Amino acid sequence: MKKLKLLWLQSLTCNGNSHSFFNHPDLFAILSKFELIYFPLIDTKYSLEDILHKQLECDILIIEGSIKKGLIKNGVDYSKLIENYAQEAKHIITAGTCATFGGVFKEYDPERISGFCFDKERVKENFNSYKDKLISLPGCPIHPKWLSYVLQMLGSGNTIPIDKLNRPQELYNITVHTGCSRNEYFEWKIDTKGFGHKEGCSFYEHGCQGPYSRGSCNKILWNDTSSKTIVGTPCFGCTEPTFPKERLFFTKTNMGIPATMPLEVSKRAYLTITGIAKSFTIKRLERNIIDYDS
Amino acid sequence: MIVKKLIEKIEGEAELEFSFKSGKIDDVDIKFDLYRGIEEILKGKAPRDALVITPRVCGICNHAHLIASVRALESGFRDAGFTFELSKKAKDIREFTLSCELVQNHIKWLYLTIFPQLNRVLKSDPDDNYALKASYIANTVTKAIAIFAGQWPHSSYAVPGGVTCDPTYIDIISAQNLIDEAIRFTQKVLIGMDLDEYLSIESLSQLKTLGGDFGKLLFTLEDNQLAKIGKSYDRFIVLGESAFFKSAKSIATTTSTIDQRFVKELEQTGTKAKAALYKNRFYEVGPMARAIINKEPIIMSLRKRYRDSLITRIYARVHEVAILLNYTKGLLQNLDITQESCTLKSKATPSDFSGVGTVEAARGSLIHRVKVKESIISKYEIITPTQWNLSNSVEEKRGVAANAMIGLESDELASFVFKSFDVCSVCTTH
Amino acid sequence: MPFATPHYIFSLILYLFYDTIYQKGILLINLDKKALKRESIILASLKLFSSNGFHKTTIPDIAKQLNMSVGNLYNYFKSKDILAKELLKYTSETVGAEIRKVNALDTSTEKKIKMIVELYFSMAKERPEMIEYFLRVYLSYRDVFKDGCEGMLCVSGFVTEIMIFFDNGVECGELRDQDFFSAFGLFMGYLGGMVFLKGEEILPNELEAYIDDISYNIYNALKR
Repeated sequence: MKKLKLLWLQSLTCNGNSHSFFNHPDLFAILSKFELIYFPLIDTKYSLEDILHKQLECDILIIEGSIKKGLIKNGVDYSKLIENYAQEAKHIITAGTCATFGGVFKEYDPERISGFCFDKERVKENFNSYKDKLISLPGCPIHPKWLSYVLQMLGSGNTIPIDKLNRPQELYNITVHTGCSRNEYFEWKIDTKGFGHKEGCSFYEHGCQGPYSRGSCNKILWNDTSSKTIVGTPCFGCTEPTFPKERLFFTKTNMGIPATMPLEVSKRAYLTITGIAKSFTIKRLERNIIDYDS
Repeated sequence: MIVKKLIEKIEGEAELEFSFKSGKIDDVDIKFDLYRGIEEILKGKAPRDALVITPRVCGICNHAHLIASVRALESGFRDAGFTFELSKKAKDIREFTLSCELVQNHIKWLYLTIFPQLNRVLKSDPDDNYALKASYIANTVTKAIAIFAGQWPHSSYAVPGGVTCDPTYIDIISAQNLIDEAIRFTQKVLIGMDLDEYLSIESLSQLKTLGGDFGKLLFTLEDNQLAKIGKSYDRFIVLGESAFFKSAKSIATTTSTIDQRFVKELEQTGTKAKAALYKNRFYEVGPMARAIINKEPIIMSLRKRYRDSLITRIYARVHEVAILLNYTKGLLQNLDITQESCTLKSKATPSDFSGVGTVEAARGSLIHRVKVKESIISKYEIITPTQWNLSNSVEEKRGVAANAMIGLESDELASFVFKSFDVCSVCTTH
Repeated sequence: MPFATPHYIFSLILYLFYDTIYQKGILLINLDKKALKRESIILASLKLFSSNGFHKTTIPDIAKQLNMSVGNLYNYFKSKDILAKELLKYTSETVGAEIRKVNALDTSTEKKIKMIVELYFSMAKERPEMIEYFLRVYLSYRDVFKDGCEGMLCVSGFVTEIMIFFDNGVECGELRDQDFFSAFGLFMGYLGGMVFLKGEEILPNELEAYIDDISYNIYNALKR
């Protein structure tokens, strides 16, 4: 089978998605299944000048970074350059929240900066032309294994089940909360007592967005090792169209009641369960997991 | 004659415009044309949001931005009357993750930028799988970061008062194993000798025993008369402090203390990057500056023979991999996990403060300055290492890298010198 | 989280809603027979516990009131303690259902406050004997409730709706964000206090006479 040609283009970006993908433990085994036209970190067959000035063939276009109307970079209009390649590509992957929804950099010029086919959650005009070949991979940055999953599915000619924002269901139909090592503390409503404890849940005290953010961060661990929530950092919802929200280390509450509920859970259901869970004291969960003095 | 060159496979891209006179570079313009407005984005946000936003300045040195940011907040909190001390554990964990980030950065620079560029200069074919080596070691050390920081890139695990993690002995042992593996790689592949033996090298004559890719690189530079090119002002500055790096400036053989208030940013024409100067003079920042201020014997020997040339600059950067791996190993051995991870218990935030956070990032000194009014950020200023090294000319004075490229005979050679500074375009154009 | 709710607050509130519970009981004609029977036991025992006291009221007393056999009654509730707890749950849920109706209305928080005050006072007026149940049973025999009614287990139906009321009020910008209990205490403590004064025959006027002023006061204290 002929190898698919892979082209990675960077618009307004921090390079974080490139570096994240470079962390993939099986990077070269994966790349060997494709013909690498361009990747920003590795010496490739073609130079950036070639990419910018010749219309090279590409099967899979990976876009990293937010799209800005009329962005001139390296002497070229990047919004046009990306559209040109996108029209010819068989598949388009928006790698990261910037390329998918606009992300952090959108905030500098919200009128002109957006994702490639989405502006936050809003569908852009070009969505109709690309919707059948677009895969959205939000995350700031992307998880290397999310991208390798998509690449390998496309490489072997498989269809990827996607949701209405073109995100692969396999990666985004669970929440970041799924698999978090602090789940028991969430279930029994034992809030963290501050930063720096392996015990306690960050949902109520530290603004953790895990229960309502889509992503498999706690199923497919970061760097094959851990995740934000495991090390006591709240999830900031970086996979969501709304990223970044305000006051990221604080839970927005209304008279003490969390303003945002776990995904598709009604406030009534949440408050009922919470009230009941709070009525009990689970001694094991009140104690430190490890007692170093004993 | 004017030659334009698009430099890629650095962090982002840069455009160089060389003016040649009688076959030699007479002037050079450095342009970075991407601007993302991070400082503007931060205005109006809650102070702690900077811990999430600033790592997004840069995909490769995001952790340095996090640490600079948390230090800026902590200095501001203290300025507003909060009293707290970080535990030694929290300090050491931060030092550990930051050092690991420096290691992955230097390794990527060596294998993904320097070796391929050397091949281009020598017009030889790439004779090794450099990218595979870079990926293996970068992977190993970033995994060690993730044990404490949750992930790399883009962690926000350092918060005012300490760190969010609460590591166990299993975590420490896993991190130790990863550092041991990185050291094993360094010994087998990078330096071709025992780490202790390497670290005892003080004189140039001992360098002959050096093997591995590093040895090969040094001999190739020497054999091809590339060692002595790329000299600049031989003036260095280190602004960040740690248990390992000392803050000072060095001119000729004199090292003296510095005062951050004399650091100035200047707009430049034709580029989105601002220049950074100390008392209106350009200084080189980065591993060579750190080694010289720390009086690392082998770097002092190299400088004596080669001054601040390409070989000293490259050596200092690779050398830092070895010393940092050794340092991180010690940090883990002495980590007391029973201490508190975060000593600031409450999330209370002073409503008005200003703070400065300085950190030694891979490429040199990184400064974050924050002003908070009525509980929101009113001003945020980021000065990156690349702004020190890669400025254009300001008031008739040439920037450090620009100065180092003058007199070279080809744009490829000049690109090599340029890349020896480990250019980060994305940081520069935050 | 604002959930470690002191029982006494509820005791002052919940007894006031008996009327609704009572009416609802009567209206439940279409429910299946067993559920209807269960409900009638709850209503009858509520009355007997409040008027005759918890210890003085026996299961045979309740059975007699309902013209059913003692054995049959035990099929519904295995002990008097269990019955007492079920009563609390039932009351809380029924009251919660009333506030839920208010919560569902598309109207201003200011108007909703008045509706809750009205709801509360009309119940206090219709069924004053309810306080007896809570004061003499729920508060006096805490050991009866200590297993199975910890925290807000038996009163969550009511508290959840009050939380949703406050949450909606803050979300739509009408109420000031503050600690749950500082708002809850102001609202419910105020109403409970008024009913207490009425019960002690200190109030010169009927409760209805105070609805407008009290609603105004509560709204002004809680608004943004």
